Amino acid sequence: MDSTKIPLDLILEKMAEDAEKAQQRVSKAAEVLQGKLYTELATTPYDIVYEEDRVKVKHYTRNENAENKLNVPLLVVYALINRETMLDLQPDRSVVKTFLESGIDLYMVDWGYPKRKDRFLTINDHVNGYMNNIIDFIREKHNVPKVNLMGICMGGSFSVMYSALHPDKIKNLVTTVTPSSFDTDKGLLHVWMKDIDVDGLIKTYGNIPGDLMNLGFLLLNPARLMIDKYVGFMENMDNKDFVENFVRMERWIFDSPDVPGETFRQFVEDGYKKNLLIQSKMYLGGSRVDLKKLTMPLLNFYGEYDHLVPPEACNQLTKAVGSKDVEDICLETGHIGIYVSSKFQRMFAPKIVQWLRERDGDDVAAVAEKTKTRRTVKKNQPVKKKTGKTPKKGLRK
Amino acid sequence: MTEEDQKAQFNESSIFPWMQMATDMWMNMAKTMPSGSPSVLNPQAALQNRYWQQLDTHLNLFKSFSKMMNPKEGGSAAAGAAQALPEVFLKIAKTGFDTALQIQNHLLEKAGKIGKRTEAYKFDNLDQDIFKALNEIYEKEIQQYFKIPPLGLTRFYQERINEFLNKHNIFETALAEFLFILYLPLEKSFQVFQEKLKAMAEEGKIPTATKENYAMWLKILEGHYMNLFKSADYTEALHRVLKNFEDFMIARNETMHDYLQMLPVVTTKDIDDLYKEFYLLKKRVQELEKMLGISPNAMNAKK
Repeated sequence: MDSTKIPLDLILEKMAEDAEKAQQRVSKAAEVLQGKLYTELATTPYDIVYEEDRVKVKHYTRNENAENKLNVPLLVVYALINRETMLDLQPDRSVVKTFLESGIDLYMVDWGYPKRKDRFLTINDHVNGYMNNIIDFIREKHNVPKVNLMGICMGGSFSVMYSALHPDKIKNLVTTVTPSSFDTDKGLLHVWMKDIDVDGLIKTYGNIPGDLMNLGFLLLNPARLMIDKYVGFMENMDNKDFVENFVRMERWIFDSPDVPGETFRQFVEDGYKKNLLIQSKMYLGGSRVDLKKLTMPLLNFYGEYDHLVPPEACNQLTKAVGSKDVEDICLETGHIGIYVSSKFQRMFAPKIVQWLRERDGDDVAAVAEKTKTRRTVKKNQPVKKKTGKTPKKGLRK
Repeated sequence: MTEEDQKAQFNESSIFPWMQMATDMWMNMAKTMPSGSPSVLNPQAALQNRYWQQLDTHLNLFKSFSKMMNPKEGGSAAAGAAQALPEVFLKIAKTGFDTALQIQNHLLEKAGKIGKRTEAYKFDNLDQDIFKALNEIYEKEIQQYFKIPPLGLTRFYQERINEFLNKHNIFETALAEFLFILYLPLEKSFQVFQEKLKAMAEEGKIPTATKENYAMWLKILEGHYMNLFKSADYTEALHRVLKNFEDFMIARNETMHDYLQMLPVVTTKDIDDLYKEFYLLKKRVQELEKMLGISPNAMNAKK
C-alpha cells in the first residue's frame, strides 16, 4: 500500500506561525482602525459654475504655469451610475490632477442624486437637455465654437449620442469604457439585461436604486468581490495606507445614486435589448442618432478585462462613426483600473492630454481628412509614441 | 354483594365495550392509512410496512386482551351505537390523511434529490425540484384560498390584502430557490477542493501554507460561480426572483396605499401624478423659452 506523504509537521508549524502573525496583526490593526484615518476623496478644489435642477458643473482651476496649455476646454461627463469622484480618488491617483497639471481647462458634470421627481427624465433630457445647456454655457463662457468632450461608461454613450446630434459643438471626443454595441454575450451584464423586466422594475421603484445595482455588480463575481476583497482587507488591516485606500474605494463604490427610471428603461430597451445605438437607429427627441455624423476625432479607451463593459461592447464604435481620425486603445485592465490603478495612471490621462494637445489647433479635422488614421493600440506600457500628426495652434474665435 | 353480582357489574361496565371499540377504531385507522392508499406512499412502502406490521401486532394483542376480559361478547344497544362513531371519524380522517400524505410524499420525493451529488462545474438542470414542489403545493393547496372572491363593501381592500399575502409567499419561495442556487458553488467548490487536496496528498505535494490553500479554493469557487452565472437555469432563477420581488412590492405598495388613504397624508401615487404634470409643464416652458430666445443658462449660471 502506498503511504501518503503529508508533511503534517510542516503544516502545523505554518499554522502556528500564521496564528502568531494574525495575533500581531490584530493588535496593530486595532491601533490603525481606531486612529485617525485620511479617507477623504475628491479633494481637488473646484467651483460650481452651473446648476440646473439636481445637475451641477464643477470647474477646476488648472495650472496656469503649465507648458502648452490647451486652448479648448474639456468637459467630462460621467455615468449616472456611481459618481464622478472616482476621477479624483486621491492626490496620487487623480486623473483630474493630471489634467490640471497638464494645462487642461477642466469642467466636470456632477449628475447629483436623482429624486423621485426625476423618474420621468429620459436620455433625451440628459443629452439634449442638461448636456446641451452645459456645453452651450462653456462655449459662451470661453467664447469658443467647440469644446472637447470626454465620456465615461454610460456618460460615454451619452457623449457619443450628443456628438452625433451636435457635431458642430464638439471638437474632439474621448470615450472611455463606453458601451456602444450591446449585442454581445461576453459580459454577464449583457446576458442578464437582455431578458430583464425593465417595466416591472420601474413600476416597483420609480428610479432604479443604486443599492440594487451595486448588489447586481457584486453578484457578477461574488468570490472576488464579496469574499477575497475582505480577506485581503483582513490581511492588510495593520497597514494604514492600505486601510485608507481601501476605505476610500469602499466609500466611492457604495456611493451610488439612483438612476432615473425612464432613462434606465431607454438605456436597457434601446441599448441592451435592441442594440440601436451602434446601428444608428436610436432616436432622441425625434432625431435619429446617426453615428456617421460623428465626424470629430475620436479616441476610444477600453479595458481588456472589463467584466461590466467588455471590449466587444466598446470596440465597434470607431468602425461605425463618420470620423476618419479614430484611435482605439485597449488597456490590460478592468473597468475601474483604467482610472485608479497606479500603473495605468501613468498611461491613461497623459495619453489623453497628448492626444488632445495634438488636436488643439484650428484645422485638425482637415489634417485628419487627409491622413485618415484608424488605429488600434494595445497597451500595458506608459504612452511614449505620438500619433504623427502635426498639431496646429490657434483657435477660431 | 355476592361474588357473582360483582362479576356481572364488572362485565356490564363500559370499560370492555370501550376497549373493543377503541381497538377496532385503531385497527381500521391502520387499514385506512398507507395500505388504504398504496398509490400515495409507494416510495416509502418498505419503511412503512415495517411500521404498520408492528402496529398491527400490537393492536391484535390488545384486541385479544379485550375479548378475553369481555367473555359475554355483545354489549348494550348504547355501546353498539357508539361503535358507529369511529366509522364516521374514519371517513373524515381518511380524506385528511390522503391529502397530508400526498403533500408529504411529494416533498420527500423531491427533497431526496437535494442530497444527490451533482457534478462539479456543471450547473445545467439544477437540482431545484424541491422548490418546484413547494411552488406546486402552494399553487395547488394554498393559493386558491387567496383567490376566493371577496364580497361586500370592503371587497377591493380584501382583494389587495390577499394579493399582497399571495405575492409575498411566492416571492419567499423564489428567494429561497435563488439563495440555494447561489450557495451551490460553495458546496461544489469544497468538494472539488477536497478531491484536489486528496490527489495532492497522494503525490506528496500538499500545500503547507494556509494562503496557498485559500488561493486554490478561491480559484475553484470563482470558476464555479462563472459557470453558474453562464447557465440558463441561473438566469431564469434570477429573473424569476426579480419578477416575484417586483410583484410583491407592487402588491405591498397598493395595500399601503389603501391604508395611507385613510390618513391625511399624500400617497406616492398622488406625488407621481404631480411630478409627471410638473415634468410635462417644465418641458413646455423650455420650448417656450426656446421660441422666445431665452437662454436657460441665463438663469443657471452661478454668479
